[in-house]
Amino acid sequence: MDFNLSEEQEALQDMARDFLSERWPRERVREQLDARPALVDDDVWQEIVEMGWLGVAASEEAGGIGGDIMTAAVLCREAGRGVLPGPFQSSLVAAIALERSGDKELVSGLLSELIEGKTRVSVAIDESAGLYGGASVAAHASESSSGWLLSGSKFLVPDANEADVLLVAAQTPDGPGLVRVSTEAEGVTINRMDRMDGQSCAEVVFENAPVEGSALVGGKDRGASLLHDVYDIATVLLAADLLGSAEASLELTRLYAIEREQFGKPIGSFQAVSHRLANTLVDVEIGISLLYGACLALDEGRDNAGPLVSGAKAWLSDAAVDAAETALQIHGGVGFTWEYDVHLHMRRSRCNAALQGDADHHRDRVAAYMSEDWVPQIKS
Amino acid sequence: MDLEFSAEDEEYRQRLRAWLKENVGGGGDSPNAVMKQAEEDPEAAKDPLAGARAWPRRLHDAGYVGLAWPKEYGGQDASFTQQVICGEEMAKVRTPPLINTIGLSIIGPTLVQHGTEEQKKRFLPRILRADDLWCQGFSEPEAGSDLASLRCRAELDGDEFVVNGQKVWTSLAFLSDWMFLLVRTDPDAPKREGISYLLLDMKSPGIEVRPLRNAAGGQHFSEVFFDNVRIPKKNLVGELNKGWSIARSSLDHERSGLSGVVALEETLGRLFRMAGKVDRGQQKSVEDQSARRALAQHWIAIEGLRHLGYRTLSDQIAGKPPGAGSSVGKLFASELRQEMTRTAMDLQGPFAPIAKRSPHVVDRGRWHAAYFDALAHSIGGGTSEIMRNVIAEKVLGLPRAQED
Ligand SMILES: Cc1cc2nc3c(=O)[nH]c(=O)nc-3n(C[C@H](O)[C@H](O)[C@H](O)COP(=O)(O)OP(=O)(O)OC[C@H]3O[C@@H](n4cnc5c(N)ncnc54)[C@H](O)[C@@H]3O)c2cc1C
Repeated sequence: MDFNLSEEQEALQDMARDFLSERWPRERVREQLDARPALVDDDVWQEIVEMGWLGVAASEEAGGIGGDIMTAAVLCREAGRGVLPGPFQSSLVAAIALERSGDKELVSGLLSELIEGKTRVSVAIDESAGLYGGASVAAHASESSSGWLLSGSKFLVPDANEADVLLVAAQTPDGPGLVRVSTEAEGVTINRMDRMDGQSCAEVVFENAPVEGSALVGGKDRGASLLHDVYDIATVLLAADLLGSAEASLELTRLYAIEREQFGKPIGSFQAVSHRLANTLVDVEIGISLLYGACLALDEGRDNAGPLVSGAKAWLSDAAVDAAETALQIHGGVGFTWEYDVHLHMRRSRCNAALQGDADHHRDRVAAYMSEDWVPQIKS
Repeated sequence: MDLEFSAEDEEYRQRLRAWLKENVGGGGDSPNAVMKQAEEDPEAAKDPLAGARAWPRRLHDAGYVGLAWPKEYGGQDASFTQQVICGEEMAKVRTPPLINTIGLSIIGPTLVQHGTEEQKKRFLPRILRADDLWCQGFSEPEAGSDLASLRCRAELDGDEFVVNGQKVWTSLAFLSDWMFLLVRTDPDAPKREGISYLLLDMKSPGIEVRPLRNAAGGQHFSEVFFDNVRIPKKNLVGELNKGWSIARSSLDHERSGLSGVVALEETLGRLFRMAGKVDRGQQKSVEDQSARRALAQHWIAIEGLRHLGYRTLSDQIAGKPPGAGSSVGKLFASELRQEMTRTAMDLQGPFAPIAKRSPHVVDRGRWHAAYFDALAHSIGGGTSEIMRNVIAEKVLGLPRAQED
């Protein structure tokens, strides 16, 4: 029984936190909101690549460091805390998808290039109809004389403008899965979208875009389970990002409540303030616990990983937005200024809360699990 | 990171499971049967609680109480994981409540930590065997959340303390053999520095116990009045006027949060099943989307609490201080229990108002009882507001709310 981060994970966490607070000042985040899209500056990106962050959950053969989902989540939590924009998280998810394809050529080819920062790959799952993940996507590839033709459209695809390759969730003649498509391919249109937090994303429309049958990542055998897993992994990493935002909002507000005085006392001595922060802390602690539980369940390949992932996403979507709104209220007037960081966390958590399924979507997923598989602990 | 228990711990779990299987529920050997036998035993006719004492005794004989206590006083010297396993397994099979819970979970651990050798030898084995039942005399009419303002007085007269004053909300006082209580022994000292911690034989002359009826209609707590009640000096725990810090540690001796999780999960299971029986318009409650989301949210919260418990346990195993875990867990669990019983009341729809024993009542009226019980959880043992104060000050490091 050891349900805490390992020493290596803690060291990685500290290192990432220090790196981001030094190399990614909040001033840059603010500037990028005025000069969209928000993307990591090239020199910082280069350092991130050199530190091996993109290969954190990839095998050593591919140039990665062989960590697990929990380790990837450690970095995403810091990215959330440090308001680090794309294409970090999208690249990380794509790397995990490629790693798990079991396809040696992809691993030694595309994945190595991704990890070395030579090729940018992103994953396109969400659709505008609110269909997420798994088998529910509507995009589809159909058989043609020369291979497959991909049709449909994807929504809020992270960093699609900057990507060279997309892994697109679609129904295919070989079942649901992720289809590898070049962003340069014929029949692919990328329409830039603007996120409230400045991050880069796009609508991607496929009109009979030709792809090879071999483009189904993981092939016929693993395609469907890979899509299922990647959706859960992308969702849990988003939950980790939300946790980082929630913690950042709480910490900002905690410090402010100690320092700011009114009526001759620090505002943190007023219970209307301190109790709201205590509630936020409880939500954060429960959120950490759910995140760890979900990551471990994924890493151990347990059956109940899905509902735990959804639990973490639902909980942290609510908690991070709540923490940000609490931060704004408790900062008073300055909380509503451009110069204070409060709105940066608010924007990011508001976006992430809605991506890959909002809290209600994930509660519905938990409810479905409860009806189908959950064995209530009743002894009559 | 892992949630595995060691092979040794798993073996312990299997042994315990086998024992529980033999001893709970099935066959003539079940605790209920044991309790009944004890009640019917002519020797026991003198003790109306003989039945209730039989189950903890049986547990003690098998080595499943006093897990954290030293062997020399009848305990088990068991590891943290074994304590957790024991709590979980017992909750899973819903062992009967223990009549000596206050002794086992509050005063016992306090004596282990702060008692004299004589006190430990005298009291601990009797707590384990439910020979002595204990009650907690902390709260007073004027001292609840602000416990340190308590007024109940004790003056030294030779080798004895003489106690005058009142306690209130004393759970199970009318059944108890002993009370551990806080008294003011130095009225001139600052309020936390004049308090002492005493052990009182409830058969002493001058004690009057007046049971109070609670909101749920039952009898659980009492008022207790003291009129020149004499307590031998050897029943002082710790030093004179140093009782406050000992009281604080009493308040920290809570049972592992993980057995509470099992109970919450069981409640959710029942709730889910109830929602499948009750109509809501053209469908069952459980098919209604808002009901489904509420149930899912409870499932998520319970998983959160369970995994928080694993984090706390891992810290304990690693020898780290318990951190935020206990106050966060207490606050979250009591609020969650209330949310769940509120959902239970809501999901009964038109059946919600129907009282127990009435023919249409859902689940034999268990939800009304659970609802009231949950409401008491955020008051007893430190209110939720006080828990938030503790979290604000101790965990977040915010300045204290009140000057005192
Ligand atoms: C079922 C039950 C069993 C109990 N059993 C026992 C027992 O066996 N032995 C025993 O000694 N006691 C027992 N108690 C008493 C319990 O510990 C007290 O009720 C509790 O500490 C609150 O004290 P109070 O009732 O005086 O309320 P008060 O302290 O008067 O509180 C009233 C309200 O004011 C709020 N409040 C008070 N101070 C603050 C503050 N500083 N900041 C914010 N809000 C505040 C409280 O949260 C509460 O909502 C029991 C209570 C219950 C309900």
